[in-house]
Amino acid sequence: MNLKEWIFTTDHKRVGVLYLIGSIAAFVIAGIMALLMRAELSTIGPTITSNPTQYNVWLYTHGAVMILGFQIPALTGFFANYCIPLMIGAKDVAFPRVNALSVWLFYVGVILACLTFFIPDPPDVMWTGYPPYSTITTGNTAMYSFTVLILGFASIIGGVNFLTTVAYMRAPGLKLSKLNIFVWCTLGAFILQLIFVPVLGTAVTLISMDKYLGTNFFDPTKGGDVLTYQNLFWFYSHPAVYVIFLPFIGVVFEIIAAHAKNMVFNYKMVVYGGIGGIVVMSGEVWIHHLYVSGMADWLRIGQMVTTLLISIPVGLMMIGLIGTLYKSSIAFTTPMMYALGVVFLFLIGGLTGIPLALPSLTIAVSDTYYVVGHFHYVMAVAGTFAIFGGVYHWFPKVTGRMYNEFWGKVGFWITFVGVNIVFWIMMDVGVQGMPRRYYDYAHFPQFEGAHQWMTLGAGILAVGFTIAILNWILGAMKGAPAGDNPWGSPSLEWSTVSPPPHGNWPTPPSVSEDWHPYGFKKA
Amino acid sequence: MAHDAHHHDSHAHAHAHWDTSIWPFVISFGILFMAVAFSFKFVYHNSFASILSLGLAIPMILAGVAGWTSEAMGKGDGFSYSAMGWFILAEAMIFVSFFVGYWYTRLHADVWPPAGTITLPKMMPLVMTFILVSSSLTIHYAEHLLHLGDKTGFRLWYLLTIVLGAIFLGMSAYEWSHLIHEGFTISTNAFSTVFFSVTGLHGSHVVVGLTIFLAGLPSVFRGDIDEGFMRTAGLYWHFVDIIWFFVVSQIYFW
Repeated sequence: MNLKEWIFTTDHKRVGVLYLIGSIAAFVIAGIMALLMRAELSTIGPTITSNPTQYNVWLYTHGAVMILGFQIPALTGFFANYCIPLMIGAKDVAFPRVNALSVWLFYVGVILACLTFFIPDPPDVMWTGYPPYSTITTGNTAMYSFTVLILGFASIIGGVNFLTTVAYMRAPGLKLSKLNIFVWCTLGAFILQLIFVPVLGTAVTLISMDKYLGTNFFDPTKGGDVLTYQNLFWFYSHPAVYVIFLPFIGVVFEIIAAHAKNMVFNYKMVVYGGIGGIVVMSGEVWIHHLYVSGMADWLRIGQMVTTLLISIPVGLMMIGLIGTLYKSSIAFTTPMMYALGVVFLFLIGGLTGIPLALPSLTIAVSDTYYVVGHFHYVMAVAGTFAIFGGVYHWFPKVTGRMYNEFWGKVGFWITFVGVNIVFWIMMDVGVQGMPRRYYDYAHFPQFEGAHQWMTLGAGILAVGFTIAILNWILGAMKGAPAGDNPWGSPSLEWSTVSPPPHGNWPTPPSVSEDWHPYGFKKA
Repeated sequence: MAHDAHHHDSHAHAHAHWDTSIWPFVISFGILFMAVAFSFKFVYHNSFASILSLGLAIPMILAGVAGWTSEAMGKGDGFSYSAMGWFILAEAMIFVSFFVGYWYTRLHADVWPPAGTITLPKMMPLVMTFILVSSSLTIHYAEHLLHLGDKTGFRLWYLLTIVLGAIFLGMSAYEWSHLIHEGFTISTNAFSTVFFSVTGLHGSHVVVGLTIFLAGLPSVFRGDIDEGFMRTAGLYWHFVDIIWFFVVSQIYFW
């Protein structure tokens, strides 16, 4: 193997694999942070550290790295890079060098985030970086700003690249009405990235300017306004959940269609109503993150309406998933297990989100574990299950080998049990009043038993994820040859050899009139 | 023809050659050292380490941009113009954030402008507007001449655009130093913060535009510049020009 052709590669598949390796490494690091927090919370008072700032640093690293270093790069980096050119029958992306730039900027961003462990005064500003704390802390806020800026720039140039690729490089005969749902979902996510990431970049730049260059954006004594930050930050960070949601639900669509051997139910409704609806509406709901920061009542009511409305396109996509399963021949493979897991977890996450949309209820549970539990169900765990299922689904294509089906399912069930222990209990103690972000809960001794259950659950899910990652590593090294199309899918990425060569196909493919990515032959 | 044959052979070969480029890697790590330099200077107050990091960062980024440009020149597939359109959407959103943040703060303020604000010059921004608009016209004319095949005329108008952009930057720097001398600095109040950061942000885009033109300069003199590069660079420059109208109207004349 030629190492130089990997590090300096401009090939979309190798760039994708680099993204996968980096994001899984980020997932492991951020997961260890979560385990450290859970260990600390297993007893009242200091358990493994007596330094609350240390806990804040774990909290910062867990959130920032999971979202910016794992989920977004795994979905819009690995899956988009590996699958989009193959799914549209292109030999590569429109700008291969730009692609290489975005993956190395991603690595640079993760390196900066990991410098947290080595520098004096590491950042301790959560993943949100709210002023005034972020502008007066002794922690290194600049590191936070630059991490976000660099990862953000990487995703912007990635978005430019893929929008251009899908616009100009589709195989002859491949009409927009025949794109894979995953391609549509990712296009939606990239449009959101292009519109909203620059706003996040601006927000985090302004806190570092206030802190280090003496500006007054958020200093009320000089005429600044501290709520400007919260608005700018959530103007990005709410759509960011759709940047994660759209590709992960796209992955789930691909898995369910291929392993149930069925046409996607209501394709047009999923694309226009679901994906289109989310792209249009995602920019109008961010103010619900500021319910308790203070605002006019009419604005609260308006935000409640828009927040509830956005469950309609999401519901259309869920109908698409369930409808695809209806009267299909379901094969309970490991990817399918993860996909069904996503449907279950996302349903719980979605339903527990409705109370949070209602100002009257959300003020009561704001800043409790309820919010943390809901968020982990709907985005963190559902998204991670989709990523793990997707890696299993395309594993034979990427490596040319097969993973171990038995250990794949064992890993799934252990993780599934673990996440439900942690996050169900979390929502329960949240409703009872356990505040989030606390390093110690001496004022709430009644929750010690629940905290110990959550720590146990975290240990269980860590075992499950470890089994999955080991399964991939061993499968890539010595799995049985998988063949070019083990799932029998007509989708274009399965029409080339596994793993695909540089240029993807010996001769560029073209598609016929009666071809469809979900046109499975009825048995 | 020879190139095509070689390409074909390498595909048939079992150990096919995979395309590589070193420049994205170099630029990325240059940016890493840039971020580290900022932390050294402003967080840890270690100027020596900061200058050392910058000494690594700036050559790496410049070499990366230059190497990339000469590697890619003439090999475009004609997609760059529409890609630049998407990129400009993202760029525009940065300015939108700054302006909306400014409006939000200004319209929520009890007193505006806040204490310490001085009267901004009016003549200077008008002259700067004239210069920047002229440079948009000169680059457009340069493109036109390139399309007609007039290489000499093209070079002249291309260079004139770079000169006009540089004059614009020089005037901006002069105005900044003048205002700072009067005691109106970036820390004075919320308005001075907005003034320096928005004009600075716009100025940084002028710098990027000029960098693109300078990166294309060797190809201009070699004569192998392609029209796709010119159209794309020109589009970015027009965008920088249009943004300036918002800066002038919102910052200087409101």
